[in-house]
Amino acid sequence: MTTPLPPSPDGLPRILALQRALAGLAFAPEAADFQADPRAFGTARGLGPGDREALFRWRDRLLFYREGVRGAVWEPLEGIYPLALALLARDGALEACRTAFLAARPFQSPFHRDIAATFVGWLADTGWGRERWPALLELAHFELVRILVEHGRDDVPGPEDLHPDPRPGDLALLRPSTQVLAYGHRVAEATLDWPEPVPGPCHLLAARGPDGYVRWRELTEVAAALLVRAQTTPMAEAAAALGLDDGPGALRFLEELRVWGALAGFTDAGRLPRGPDACPTRSGPPPAGAPS
Amino acid sequence: MPRPSPSGVGLGLRLPFYGEAADRDLDVPFWEIAPENVIGGGGLEAEQLRAALARKPVLSHGLTLSVGGFDPWDGPYLDQVAAFLESTGAPWHSEHLCFTAVDGTTTLDLLPLPFTGAAARHAAARARDLAGRLPVPLLLENITYYGELGQGDLTEAQFLAEVLEGADVGWLLDVNNLYVNALNFGFDPFAWLEGMPLHRVGQMHVAGHHRYGDLVVDTHGAPVPDPVTALMGFALARIGRPVPVLLERDNEIPPLPRLLAERASLQEAYDHALAAIA
Repeated sequence: MTTPLPPSPDGLPRILALQRALAGLAFAPEAADFQADPRAFGTARGLGPGDREALFRWRDRLLFYREGVRGAVWEPLEGIYPLALALLARDGALEACRTAFLAARPFQSPFHRDIAATFVGWLADTGWGRERWPALLELAHFELVRILVEHGRDDVPGPEDLHPDPRPGDLALLRPSTQVLAYGHRVAEATLDWPEPVPGPCHLLAARGPDGYVRWRELTEVAAALLVRAQTTPMAEAAAALGLDDGPGALRFLEELRVWGALAGFTDAGRLPRGPDACPTRSGPPPAGAPS
Repeated sequence: MPRPSPSGVGLGLRLPFYGEAADRDLDVPFWEIAPENVIGGGGLEAEQLRAALARKPVLSHGLTLSVGGFDPWDGPYLDQVAAFLESTGAPWHSEHLCFTAVDGTTTLDLLPLPFTGAAARHAAARARDLAGRLPVPLLLENITYYGELGQGDLTEAQFLAEVLEGADVGWLLDVNNLYVNALNFGFDPFAWLEGMPLHRVGQMHVAGHHRYGDLVVDTHGAPVPDPVTALMGFALARIGRPVPVLLERDNEIPPLPRLLAERASLQEAYDHALAAIA
């Protein structure tokens, strides 16, 4: 949603053209054409003689702005995605990724922190690098989850009957910041020295610990399925549907996850509307386009 | 009714200090914070930040509203900023006189506006419109610029004054930006100040900078140098009021005790300048 501005006075197309020219220089994959002939660069962007001369006069300083914008958008990612970028750096593709990401001009939020999710969204939407590094998107998503968990809001009121001890007819409620994840590569085993995860199922639970930092737990496929299903189906039914004979054991497992910090607690299934669309908390699947 | 203004030399609240600022009553008269770094955040850092802001007066300093740009305002974001200003009791909100978005793309950098009458009138109209959407007065900050965008028909000083007067908004006088511009473009910052609408100054910024070859860059990554402190004192004397001064440090952030010591030193200079006009 946007708010319309008052009508623009005359003479503004030139100002807008100048702003577009500088932004274009900043995000363009190459600056060689500008460096070689700033006047021609201006001509191609509809600028008049005086503005073209200014581009020529301030060529080096405008290139300084180019580097400033590129650094401001890219450098935060270096601290957020050490593994994904190490994978690209290992194969000499870091600059290619940076160039493609910036050329896409993907960042539109007023919140600087959103640059983290923007990168994964761009990888998912464009498929950049997918053929060469099949695990790249999953690896980046795995690194993004740390940010989502540590900075997600948990101050969402739960149902009135939220309680700590699970009963067979209860639903499990995740904390809003908790993420239940399923990857096709062993992303949790990636290291800076070996950043390319091998193929293989990897079910993870990520939750915010009492120190404020993310804590991880690997789940079996059945345990992950139980955790997802128990958010919308009474726990005894969920366990039975998955063929789990040990219903009390399933309850103990979910209780343990609450103590561990992944769950807010439990609520009587009869008090809440049923079905996936009525789930009162996020079940934590990866965002659209991300691996599932 | 205008909200009370803090005075003295405050600090920008930065991540390395969130915990201590939340837990202790630090020797700082006020914090400045970017609402973009507060709104919508969760987790331990957000809790610490909110606790710290509750301890002291807060000044709000925005980074992404593109006052000189052409993109429409982000209505929901403006609503969030307004709620932030209400919740913190900030007496005003400041933004930079620049553009930070083009055709929907956020640049995350402060880009210069052409020094032309048309650009000044456009920015003034935008600033006036923005001010009408905020629950507190708007201040605009003079930025560091490294080259001119297009052929200007005004000086930077004329451009800035025309925007401030045309929008009828306050001025966040960034003393370090002025000093860096003076070094890069070879003018006398003291004489520059004499011709400016100092009655509009509601706040000041001071910071450090670095020289890279023939270019001086506003890095916020070094202690405030003596000439900037002197310029701050000169400006305070000319303004004749105890407007709050904010020490900005965003890079190579020193340990908190050292930053507090620098703040205290600047406070002495601040008090000395005000005593001279009392």
